[in-house]
This record gives sequence, C-alpha cells and structure tokens, in this order.
Amino acid sequence: MLSEKQKLLRRLQAARFAVIEINLYLDSHPTCQEGLRYFREKRAELESLTKEYEEKYGPICASDSDATDRWDWVAGPFPWERGES
Amino acid sequence: MWKYQKTLEYPVNIKNPDPALAKIIISQLGGPDGEVGAATRYLSQRFASPCREVQGLLTDIGTEELAHSEIISAILYQLTRNLTPKEIKESGFDTYFVDHTTGIYPMAASGTAWTANFIQSTGDPIADMNEDLAAEQKARLTYDNILRLTDDPDVRDPIKFLREREIVHYQRFGEGLRMITDQLDAKNFYAFNPSIDKPKA
Repeated sequence: MLSEKQKLLRRLQAARFAVIEINLYLDSHPTCQEGLRYFREKRAELESLTKEYEEKYGPICASDSDATDRWDWVAGPFPWERGES
Repeated sequence: MWKYQKTLEYPVNIKNPDPALAKIIISQLGGPDGEVGAATRYLSQRFASPCREVQGLLTDIGTEELAHSEIISAILYQLTRNLTPKEIKESGFDTYFVDHTTGIYPMAASGTAWTANFIQSTGDPIADMNEDLAAEQKARLTYDNILRLTDDPDVRDPIKFLREREIVHYQRFGEGLRMITDQLDAKNFYAFNPSIDKPKA
C-alpha cells in the first residue's frame, strides 16, 4: 500500500523521468522540435509537482529550503529507507 | 557541479531482507561493469570529447549513473536490514560482514574491491565511445544475470528499470559515436585522434 507521500512521489518521479529521458534524447537531437515541445511540457509538469511535494514534505534539494526555525533538510527521512521512495 | 535531489530516480521498497542476494547485486555497485565505474568513466571521459553533443551525453549519462549507484545502494541497504548473526552466517554474507558490517562498500560479487582498473579514459573519443557502448552492454547482461538469480518482485522491479536504462544509454552512445565519426574522414576514421591531432572545426 502506497502512502499519500509515495503516491505524489510516483507522479513526480514519472515526470522527472520523462525530463531525464528527453534531456538525453535532445543531447543527440538538439533541433528536434517535437522533442523540445515535450521537454517544455514535462518540465512544467515537474515544476508544479515539485512545488506541491516540497510544500507538503520538505525540500527535495537542500538549497530549496525555506526554513526559519529549524533546518528542515535533516528533519525528513532520506530516500533509501523502505517506504520513502 | 552537482545538486543532490532527496528522492530515488526509481523507487526501491523491499519487504524481505536477503543477504545472499545482496552479495550478488553488489557487483552492479562496485563490480567491473557496475554503476560506480560507469559514472566515473563517463564523467572522466567527457573532457576529451570533440563535440558539445557528446560532452552533453557523457555529462548527463554520467550523472544518471550516480543516481543508479544510489538505487543499487538502496537495494543493498534494504536487503541487509535486521539480520541476525545466524542469518549472516547461513547466507554466506559473513565474509562481507566481517569487513564492512552492513555498510555499503563498492566491490564485485567475486570479491575484488572497486578499482579504476575496471575503466578507461583514453583521451581518444572514438576509443572511449566504443568502450562506453561495450560498457552498457556488459552492464545490461549483468542485470540479466541478476534477474536469472532472483524471483523477488520487489528486487526485480528496480533491476528491470536499470536494465532498460543500459539499453537507452547504448542507443545514445551509438548516436554519439556517429556524430564523432561524421566529422572525420569517412575513408579512414582511425587515422588520428580527433581530440589531439586536429584543430576543432
């Protein structure tokens, strides 16, 4: 059974995977217009999912932290724990 | 430079610890065709690449390999949690445990610690790209061998993802090799090292 956090993370991982994959494709096909469109679409999706995820579960990158009272980067678990990916 | 993202590239959630399986899968961390070697190989070779597209491929695939070494490490970590001394001995994990406990150490399943002797960075982009194509095939077949040795779906799922990535990387490196050779003399691609013998176009 997936937690709410995992369900959102799955969507984020899927969007990020699409961005990784199209990045590699565009490295060797830099003028492919369809590829460039797909990149822009998936990057926008990833940005909005990242924002939603970070608001609920804390920063994905340490430098995205908005912490004021406590450094939230080390407040949540790291992703190699079972149930955290 | 790099920025760490606090999520795995692909999920790893393993119900049942299996130290004997960890002893096999560790080869894809620190073995001759493992992910640590892949990242080190590509991130080292990119400096000798004669075109921006291939510099991009080596940088971005090398970066993805770092994420893959994290996935393998997470698999090893979860396969070796909560072990009793009896389980450690009976599974054959004791020979690893005595040196590393359940810490993650890059080594081959056959016992050799990770070494830069597993990889090359020749300064010749055609030689390097051919090595990279072979490396992706060797990593793919190692994943095939791992899949022959386990039926645990929690382990097979991320291993199948990693296997698939080797195939995509092979395709991209094939395109990279073609780009490099397209810039050379079609009658003799191997007349010289384009990174050192000829000024950049």
